[in-house]
Parts: sequence; C-alpha cells; structure tokens
Amino acid sequence: MDKTISFKLNGEAVSITTDPLRRLLDVLREDFKCHGVKEGCSEGECGACSVLLNGEMVTPCLIPLGAADGQEVVTVEGITATEKGDIIVQAFADGGAVQCGFCIPGMVVAAYYLLSRNPNPTEDEIRLGISGNLCRCTGYDLIVESIKLAASRGGDIWKK
Amino acid sequence: MEKVMCYIPKTLNEALEIRNKEDVIVLAGGSDLMVSHKRTIGLTPKFDKSVMIIRNLPEIRKIYMDGSECHIGAACTSREIAESPLVPWHVRQAASRMGAIGLRNSATIGGNIANASPKGDTPGPLYLLDARVKIASTDGVREELVSDFIIKFRTIDLKPNEMITEVILPLSEDDFDYVFWHKVGTRKANAISKVTLSQAVKFASDGTVCDYRASATATGSKTNRSRDVENIIIGKRIAPELIEEVIAAFDGIISPRAMPEFRRESCRRSIRRFLTEAEKRRIEGCRDKVIDTYDGYYVPCAPVCRLS
Ligand SMILES: Cc1cc2nc3c(=O)[nH]c(=O)nc-3n(C[C@H](O)[C@H](O)[C@H](O)COP(=O)(O)OP(=O)(O)OC[C@H]3O[C@@H](n4cnc5c(N)ncnc54)[C@H](O)[C@@H]3O)c2cc1C
Ligand code: FES
Ligand code: FES
Repeated sequence: MDKTISFKLNGEAVSITTDPLRRLLDVLREDFKCHGVKEGCSEGECGACSVLLNGEMVTPCLIPLGAADGQEVVTVEGITATEKGDIIVQAFADGGAVQCGFCIPGMVVAAYYLLSRNPNPTEDEIRLGISGNLCRCTGYDLIVESIKLAASRGGDIWKK
Repeated sequence: MEKVMCYIPKTLNEALEIRNKEDVIVLAGGSDLMVSHKRTIGLTPKFDKSVMIIRNLPEIRKIYMDGSECHIGAACTSREIAESPLVPWHVRQAASRMGAIGLRNSATIGGNIANASPKGDTPGPLYLLDARVKIASTDGVREELVSDFIIKFRTIDLKPNEMITEVILPLSEDDFDYVFWHKVGTRKANAISKVTLSQAVKFASDGTVCDYRASATATGSKTNRSRDVENIIIGKRIAPELIEEVIAAFDGIISPRAMPEFRRESCRRSIRRFLTEAEKRRIEGCRDKVIDTYDGYYVPCAPVCRLS
C-alpha cells in the first residue's frame, strides 16, 4: 500500500508517494536519480550503495524507504557538492585510487564518514574505515593512500 | 503482486497498538529481513504479512543505567552499543565485531536476539552475563532471561502481540577479575562467527574461584552455556587437571555440526588459555583484566582434505 514518505535528501526536503517497503537504494536511484548510489551485492556485503542516514553510514540495499521517513539522507552526490567531498574526490583522482570506478562512490562515502569522525586516521584505521567496501580492481593500497592525502590536504577542515 | 501494509509508528505505544491488532512483521534495522525477503535487483522485497518499521522509535533507541543495571533499547545499533561506555565489555566487543561499519549502523540488538541464529554475535555475552529481555505488549511488560527467550534455532518465546523493548544487563566486567572474548572469523569485517567464546572469572580472597562462566556461539542449535560445567571449578583453585575437566565437560555440552572438530578444538584452546592465564595473573597480582588470545593461537585443525 502506497504512503507518502518525507525526508531530507542532500539537504533538501523531499517527499514521495510509493510503497514504503521499496528499498531505499531503488528509490534513490530510480526516483531521485542519485545514480552514484551503486548496487553491487544487494545484501549489505559490498558497500557500493553506501549513504549516510542521519549522519551514519548505512547500506540502503538493506533499508526500506519507510525507515527514512522524517530522517536525513545524504548520498555521494550530496557529499561531493561540499568542500570536504571535493577534497576526497581530488585526492582519489590525484592518488590514482580509481580503476573501473564502480566501488568509488561507496569509498568516497566511507572516506567522508571516517574523516568526519576521525580527522587524523592511522593506516589501520583507514583500512578499518573501508573494510565494508569491496573493490575488485585496485587492491586497496592507492585508495588508502588517497584517503591519507585527503586527510592531510583537508587538515582542520575535517574537525569542523 | 499484492502490496502489504507498512506501518511506521512514531511512538512505542502506537507500535504496541498496531501489534495488538495485527500480526505484523517487526522490522528494526532490516539487515536480516531485507536479505531473507529480497528478490532480484530493482524489485521490492516480498513480505507475506504487513510490516511495521520500528527503527526510529525513540523509546527503544537509548542506553541508560538503572542502579547497577545497564539497559539497552532494542533498536540500538551495534555501533551505538560498541561505543557506549555504559555497556558491559563483552557486549561491546561482540557489537564492535558484527558485520562491517555500514551494517553496524543498521543491525540492532533486538533483531540479533529475535533472529535467534546460533551464529549471532550478541547472545554469547548476553548468556554469559545473565542478561534479560524486556518484552512489552498492550497487556503490560514482562522480563525473561535471554537464554530462556531463545528457545532454539530461529525460535523465540514471543507472542504475536509482543515486542522486545530492552535488553537488561545485571552484570558487567566489574563483577569479574578477568574476562575473555574471542571471535574466530574468516576475515576482520563481515565475518559470520566460526566460533566465539566469552568467558569471565572471579576469585575469592583465598585464591579459589568464586565465579566462572563460559559461553560459546556457533557450536550448536543455540548459544551454549552450562552452570553444571562452570560449577566444576567453582570453590576450587585452578590447576591443570581441573582445567582439563572443565574442557571435557564443556565439550560435552556443545554440538557443532559443520567442521565440528575445528570448533571443538577452538573451544578447548580458549578455555585452557583463559583459565591458565587467569591463574597466572592472579598469582602475579596482575590486575590487567582482559585476557587475549595470542598470535598464532588458533591454528586451524580442520581435518585434512585428501584428494585420493
Ligand atoms: C552483510 C551482513 C553481515 C552480518 N554480519 C553479522 C555478524 O557479524 N554477526 C551477527 O550476529 N549478525 C550479522 N548479520 C546479521 C544481522 O545483521 C544481525 O542479526 C542483526 O542484529 C539483525 O538486526 P536487525 O535490526 O537488522 O534485524 P531485522 O532484520 O530488522 O529483524 C530480524 C528479526 O528480529 C525481529 N525483530 C527485530 N526487532 C525486534 C523487536 N524489537 N522485537 C521483536 N522482534 C524483533 C524481526 O521481526 C526479525 O525476525 C549480518 C547481516 C548482513 C546482511
Ligand atoms: S549493494 Fe548494498 S552493500 Fe552491496
Ligand atoms: S575500482 Fe573497480 S571495483 Fe574498485
């Protein structure tokens, strides 16, 4: 049965009348055209679909739309529109972190979530921070290096 | 396909009223239900009954102390639990190693208990610490030990109009001298437990054991713990022969199906390691509470596969 679900998406109030049991992932991609939210495994294992729900990183392939009612969702599109997001994207490009690119939106969300909570992570903390994000191309090292680069380039910005 | 109803109550009372009127599927984090009901890419999961989403109910999303007991709301996520200084150590350990970061922001403790999987991570510590679930319905509230509430594989003692609202922990690491928690998984993130041991011990002033507990997950159809096994060592001083007696008795209460010898051997080693090290630290007067496994401790001892 359809319902009207209202939430904040990338800072803007939105609402949609649809089946609240649809996966948040599908609604973000199909109805709100947030195509940076990728579907890899469909079961919470790969992190390609990662978004922030009330500031916490989650996998919307496991979340029904109804769980976002009255809440706040930020996708990679919202993150990359900020100064912090821009620093991560630049660092990923300069650091050679990207091969096929499929995992990268999820990696950017994971990097943003990590650096926002821990502006100065150690290598182990970075690896832990992206441990829920699978990459089949890069072998992770250059992604880890790029997150270090984003941490040092951003400096105090991450403490805001 | 006929669409089922989806309720999104704003308060616990509203949720209990809905549950009283209709046998709805309670969905908290969704990390079990969305996987078990998933269809293919782009399709809405298929539920055969109405669903009620309780993820954001404020009444069951808080952690607080009542006297010396820690209360964890049923919809608290693994991250919230892992990061709360109020939560007993064993439970924090288990919560901090569930899934990966994204999952820990969805998976709830109520869902982990109600899912009643013998591989679930939180029941081990909850059995160890005599945790209780608080269960509510429009008829009132009741409490039950988690170890009684989980009847067996995927079976819990919950009536159709009831919901778990809290998990209550009467004990913490402060009640013990030494503690142990070790999860054997295939990798650090997103690893479902191969076997997990939780243990705790307390000594009397004369050096005898006054409390010892051990629980194991992924070693049978539900989490294993036995007061009879623990009683073998209570009132006595730890000695190698006594440890072997405990190990043999513990071996008798577990019934792992897949890779049984690996799981049995992991339990034996965990118990031997913990009790030996606890006695050593007691004698030395070492107050370092957490006893870890050491590197290379878990040498897999699954049977060798032969090609012939
Ligand atoms: C990628 C991935 C990795 C995982 N890793 C682990 C792991 O390492 N360790 C582990 O233990 N589990 C793991 N799980 C399983 C799952 O995340 C946990 O069992 C989690 O705690 C379930 O909680 P939930 O709120 O998401 O459950 P839901 O899917 O919302 O619900 C699960 C069950 O509990 C019932 N339920 C939920 N809340 C209540 C309530 N308050 N009252 C009554 N019934 C209720 C539901 O009706 C349902 O039957 C993993 C799952 C995935 C997808
Ligand atoms: S598609 Fe969501 S975690 Fe893989
Ligand atoms: S760059 Fe291809 S999956 Fe990561």
